[in-house]
Amino acid sequence: MQYEPGLSRDELIDFAINQYFGNVDKKDLEATLNCFHDEALLCTQTSFTRHSGKAEIKRMFEDFFASYETIVHQDFTCTVDEANGRITASFVAELVDSDGQTTILNNTNFWRMRDGKFQEVYVYMSGANVLV
Amino acid sequence: MADWTPGMAGQEPLPYPFYVDIVTKRYFDGVDNKNLSKVLNCFHPDAVLHEATSDTVHNGRDAIRAMFEKLFADFDDIWHGNFVHTADPVSNAVCSQFTVLITPNGGDQLRYENCNRFYLKDRLFQHVFVYMSGDNLLKEGDA
Repeated sequence: MQYEPGLSRDELIDFAINQYFGNVDKKDLEATLNCFHDEALLCTQTSFTRHSGKAEIKRMFEDFFASYETIVHQDFTCTVDEANGRITASFVAELVDSDGQTTILNNTNFWRMRDGKFQEVYVYMSGANVLV
Repeated sequence: MADWTPGMAGQEPLPYPFYVDIVTKRYFDGVDNKNLSKVLNCFHPDAVLHEATSDTVHNGRDAIRAMFEKLFADFDDIWHGNFVHTADPVSNAVCSQFTVLITPNGGDQLRYENCNRFYLKDRLFQHVFVYMSGDNLLKEGDA
């Protein structure tokens, strides 16, 4: 294992889907950032983009939230490795900007948990990276 | 199981090592050694392999065979490693992150950071999703 497992299967799913994506979709920056350790990594692997540490992740989410009027993540299929504190989810992201333009992405996230928060997050996107 | 869907509840769970082993010791070992039978033996006859970043779908083991025949012909060396798995007996699925080092015939080595989502029905792959950090390498076969 990379990190000591702590959360149960149901807790991992709740953390990733409700506490994380639920707050992203509400554009609740503080609650979103509370899901990450201070030294967490968020990497979009399909574009070799890395945000290192909570300050960089905060800046990325500020820009992301400002770029879209509405952000919806849905249609989750979760794969859970409870023994190793890892969870993966495929989902549809529907993003609508201020001009009414809609971006649909079929993405996959990999989360590695440490002590109840995200230590590493890896995002694989079906289209251009929106987490810049 | 006519109404099977990827990761559906109620499937018979296999031992945790089965999921890691079918990905590394059977599937990717077969790919890296260009052992087509070993690769295809991981798939159901009506399996689907979907490259998500280019939305390329290979429907059925014959289409998957043609795709791999082209891949093996077009590239000298293929290596998959640096794996991190999310293996889940409860949903009969395993998702894997990995590095790919691959060299086109007569070309320079390429490095990819990819992931696959493998959804099993019973003991074989039924639906596989692939995400690539560069141009799609899993193109439609010529056959």
